[in-house]
Amino acid sequence: MSRYAPLTLALLAPLVVAGCYEDVTPTQYDPGVYKGKTDPLLEKLESGDLRDQLDQRFEIAATDR
Amino acid sequence: MARMKFLCDAERCIECNACVTACKNENEVPWGVNRRRVITLDDGEPGEKSVSVACMHCTDAPCAAVCPVDCFYTTTDGLVLHDKDLCIGCGYCFYACPFGAPQFPEESAFSQRGKMDKCTFCAGGPEEDNSNAEYEKYGANRIAEGKLPACAEMCSTKALLAGDGELVADIYLKRVMQRSGRPDTWGWQKAYGAGV
Repeated sequence: MSRYAPLTLALLAPLVVAGCYEDVTPTQYDPGVYKGKTDPLLEKLESGDLRDQLDQRFEIAATDR
Repeated sequence: MARMKFLCDAERCIECNACVTACKNENEVPWGVNRRRVITLDDGEPGEKSVSVACMHCTDAPCAAVCPVDCFYTTTDGLVLHDKDLCIGCGYCFYACPFGAPQFPEESAFSQRGKMDKCTFCAGGPEEDNSNAEYEKYGANRIAEGKLPACAEMCSTKALLAGDGELVADIYLKRVMQRSGRPDTWGWQKAYGAGV
């Protein structure tokens, strides 16, 4: 059993080290260019359904009772 | 494409601060941060006027123009949102904004300035819609659920309107016509003269 221990450790060590890897590439900023995450809401807003829903909601919420 | 806009009817606002409370409650806004405030001019004098102010989601947003890391983006509906993972909390946007919308929460025991926080029109931010991550960073995403900002929906006198700019303008125009037939927004007389 102990004969295989160094071999097992040698195989596991690269995996452990690889697990600790962190991407340190900095974001290179270009003036006026947004490089953040994409907002899933942007796609939803393109759909007419959500727009109609918001407009209907406005008619209910903003109209005098 | 519609443009989402806020409009506060100063003739109707009664300075109840329900919009401020609704915003804080809906978005779990950090202590010391006010995404929305009610400002009163000539407080206590006859003819005082109150108006509810937050981020106005400007068409050509000065906050986005001065941001050194370009953490702002604008949706197709004209909502100005930002990515807190990119924000460095420098405070330039606070100086640029004419409404004082960008806020900075105090963090750590030494009151270190945190990442910028502002009104999102209840549209969250660049995270999965209505996820925990989005709620913790940006607050509620009511727009993705087909709802309008909590501040406007809670307004008891319907002074604060939020929605498609054209629909907002239609309602405001009707009110103006019913009242006097002349816009009574602040600065109108100064800009255009009393006779207009």
